[in-house]
Amino acid sequence: MANQETKKLDEIISSRRAMMTMGGAALAGLFLTGVAKAQAALTDNDILNFALNLEYLEAQFYSLAAFGVTIDKQPTPIPTAPNASLGAAGTVTLKPGFAKVPFTNPPISDYATETAIEEGKHVTFLQGALGSAAVSMPNIDLYNSFNALAMAAGIGPAFDPFDKDADFLVGAYIFEDVGVTAYHGAAAAISSTSVLGAAAGILAVEAYHAGLIRTSINQLDAGSGALAGLTQKISATRAKLANPSGTPVDDIGLTTANVSLNGSANLPATTFVDADANSVAFARTPAQIIQIVTGGSSANKGVFFPDGLNGTIK
Amino acid sequence: MAGAGTAAAAALLAGCNDSTPAPSSPPPTGGVNPPPTSNPNLDVLNFALNLEYLEAEFYLYAATGQGLSSADAGSGAGTTKATGAAVVPWASSGLAQYAAEIAQDEVNHVRFLRKAITAANGTPISRPDIDLTFFAPLAMAAGITPTPTFNPFTSPQGFLIGAFVFEDVGVTAYHGAAGLLTDKTILTAAAGILGVEAYHAAAIRTLLVGMVAAANDQTYVDIANKVSALRGTLGGGNETTLSSKSIVAADTTNAIAFARTTDQVLHIVYGTAGGAGLSKGGFFPSGLNGNIKATAS
Repeated sequence: MANQETKKLDEIISSRRAMMTMGGAALAGLFLTGVAKAQAALTDNDILNFALNLEYLEAQFYSLAAFGVTIDKQPTPIPTAPNASLGAAGTVTLKPGFAKVPFTNPPISDYATETAIEEGKHVTFLQGALGSAAVSMPNIDLYNSFNALAMAAGIGPAFDPFDKDADFLVGAYIFEDVGVTAYHGAAAAISSTSVLGAAAGILAVEAYHAGLIRTSINQLDAGSGALAGLTQKISATRAKLANPSGTPVDDIGLTTANVSLNGSANLPATTFVDADANSVAFARTPAQIIQIVTGGSSANKGVFFPDGLNGTIK
Repeated sequence: MAGAGTAAAAALLAGCNDSTPAPSSPPPTGGVNPPPTSNPNLDVLNFALNLEYLEAEFYLYAATGQGLSSADAGSGAGTTKATGAAVVPWASSGLAQYAAEIAQDEVNHVRFLRKAITAANGTPISRPDIDLTFFAPLAMAAGITPTPTFNPFTSPQGFLIGAFVFEDVGVTAYHGAAGLLTDKTILTAAAGILGVEAYHAAAIRTLLVGMVAAANDQTYVDIANKVSALRGTLGGGNETTLSSKSIVAADTTNAIAFARTTDQVLHIVYGTAGGAGLSKGGFFPSGLNGNIKATAS
């Protein structure tokens, strides 16, 4: 399932999770022995290229939703093969007769535009940070992928996120929380302080997007719960793909959950934050992220990345 | 539209008579930086814990009319000045459910940080003195009101403005601190809290912008931007103008969230612009607890 590199990274991260429950001395001892050696197997560039694959996916989704064109066809093109020697640019599969989302809700249209611009900047930033090491965009599927995920999530045989405002929000929901967990899970494996600072800043922007999406869906739902129900199915599917055993459940869809504060039991609260029982955002290993974006493929290819990711972590 | 906006602003800003007058800004005192401890990770976590105490107090009062329990505040905790703080009259705004979610998250952050500091062989600081009436002089300094009358607990819109004061600051504080954390376990925890603060910030910003779309009323987005401008003045820039086309607070070149130094965060929460030796004021009338307390610049 996972290749050697992702397994090594998983070991680092899961070891650190285990350390959370241990005392300081044991923690320091563990950190300085086997874990540090395993860390040497992956470079910051490996991690940044992994992130670049995910940013290609997000940037293409939003660019197509908002502008109707892929990022390399924008007025100021964003390259999809910044280093030709590292491979040709992949293609983006779209439904026949594709057109951008026919937005009727101006705030949602504005959101699509803002996010398209920001995800495009993330691609450009990562390409700049990687320089001659930046990988090309792999093949991306934004048509069969959503249909397959809809089937897996029990939503129906087909789902088109480009059909209308609400569907666009649900499509965006699929990506944003995953971005947060990916950057969060990779943070501890980054060596350079400056790279870490940048990654933390992108993590925050992904969380801004995720919070924006969840709030927008909640406001649009206005009590009907139809869209919230979809988010719960998507979150459950993501959790299952990331954790085939069924635990932990590292994803929470939109719902109303009662909280107990200061003796005021059963205060209704909207779960617009995707976080654990400590109100700390979830983290996922690269291998878990790959399982989500490839739909649980044993070959690490499929769904959004029909031929897999580019780079060392794949 | 203009009339509606004015009326709405009046509803937000009037009737806050139980707010206290602006505390005078004392000249910086105690300009001695405490010596660094052997573990900067613990200093940073305790710094963050101060901010979480402040956020938890604000949201708990908004959601329940009471602040942190004595167990959560720690032994020998300072007092929270909460004149005029009460459950926000949510009416049918639907915002109560957001406030309850954030209140629970911030209480969880207090508890989580206290446990994490203890687990790392440190001592979690107790809650310092907190002044929730500082919103009033802050709003006056931002040019929102001519006199210190703003009380964020008197309307759902006021609550959003109060929340706006804090959330983006939390994001920039955790982001800025990331590079100071040498312990990877602590770093990962902090990155996860950073993520949650950004979820909160996005919700508040989206709800504010949503008011413009729903009622064609720019009033509260304009007020938020005055808060943002003041934060920029106090905290070294690091702000973008909020609008329906720009909800995320990030730099315009790379779309990366802003980061602030601990000094910049201190200047914001103390409500006083640049300079070394500032160690109290604003939301923290006796200063933060812990080793990161006084500004170095």
